[in-house]
Amino acid sequence: MCVGLPGKVEKIKDGMAIIDAYGAKRQVSAELLEDLMPGDYVMVHAGVAIAKITSDDDEELDELFKDEK
Amino acid sequence: MSSETLDLARDIISNYSGRTLKIMEVCGTHTHQIFKYGIRKLLSSDISLISGPGCPVCVTPTGFIDEAVMLALEKNATIATFGDLVRVPGSEQSLALARSKGAKINIVYSPLDAVEYAKNNPDEEVVFLAVGFETTTPSAALAVKNAKEKGISNFSILGANKTMMNAYRMLKDSADAFLYPGHVCAITGLKEYDELKDEGIYGVVTGFTPKEILGALAMTVKKLEKGEAFEENCYKRVVTYEGSPSALKLIEETFDSCDSEWRGLGIIKDSGLCLKKKYSDFDARKKFNLPEITGHPNPHCRCGEVLQGKCTPKDCKVFGKGCTPEHPIGACMVSGEGACSAFYKYGGDF
Ligand code: SF4
Repeated sequence: MCVGLPGKVEKIKDGMAIIDAYGAKRQVSAELLEDLMPGDYVMVHAGVAIAKITSDDDEELDELFKDEK
Repeated sequence: MSSETLDLARDIISNYSGRTLKIMEVCGTHTHQIFKYGIRKLLSSDISLISGPGCPVCVTPTGFIDEAVMLALEKNATIATFGDLVRVPGSEQSLALARSKGAKINIVYSPLDAVEYAKNNPDEEVVFLAVGFETTTPSAALAVKNAKEKGISNFSILGANKTMMNAYRMLKDSADAFLYPGHVCAITGLKEYDELKDEGIYGVVTGFTPKEILGALAMTVKKLEKGEAFEENCYKRVVTYEGSPSALKLIEETFDSCDSEWRGLGIIKDSGLCLKKKYSDFDARKKFNLPEITGHPNPHCRCGEVLQGKCTPKDCKVFGKGCTPEHPIGACMVSGEGACSAFYKYGGDF
């Protein structure tokens, strides 16, 4: 039940968003995210978009490890 | 993550040698990803990985299942629930068994779907089983808020929502550091964790890809070696320092903090959420006048110790014999995120 579902926002209307998650379309609540736009990537839990995904890679780890090399 | 960083991370966790480092992952999805990608096999023998109480189904006490069964069979309520809860054994029976006796159990993906069902079926009393941590609580809060706004009075929740902060405090001595759950932190932000750092509780927020988990483990090892206080965010693409102010506000407007029972850990002070007075019509316990129920888990089950890292599933006498995913005796074997189910599925020879 706790597995997050990442998806791309296709449409937003009346506090709901249609997202594309690995090709499947789902309607989820967009009430918790302000300024959500089509094209944004979001993390969905239990039918609610809980966070925006700001990049599609984990390059921040490179930054963090700079000090450790 | 560059391949250079990935090599470095792998090197750090494989070649560490020194005092045994106990690292606890507190998210059931992390537990499964770690097994699935064989990350345990890469770890130096001086690193001990413990699967903590981060699977909401696993920490939900037996008495909660008993309450749900009573609602379904004696109060004639339609139960709406995440699928994982259906096969969790209660003191006498699971919801699956109750269903075979005629109880109406609907599996939903979201509590919002349960509200929709209630709206479309006004003759039924629909109760959503609200379990979960900060990640799923906003959806339960939205469901209650929507039901109230739309005047859907045949909807209520049986609540067992939990918050992680005091669980970390309780488990402080079980681990040197935590792999913090990425999606709980997406809601709370790293801000809440400043307090823990001041109290000597350390950890690294991580995501769910093998690279993210490897990177976070390596970061944890490095930080522990340095011996300084730390909290680190290795999942910045989703987790911010502030978290989700709108989700936190919604939770605060809907719930009050309360003490809560965790399977195996007992009552943890201020680790639960109960509906605010203005939403008491949506509280199934009040609506159906439920009595206080004390659950009786199977005495063979060592879930409680597994959840605290005091033993591994393989130390449980019935693991893989009396207790399998097909015939689970305890919640840790039922849920796809439970430690016993992960050990069973992936062999557990680690
Ligand atoms: S193997 Fe089954 S009975 Fe044993 S601790 Fe795990 S869930 Fe409980």
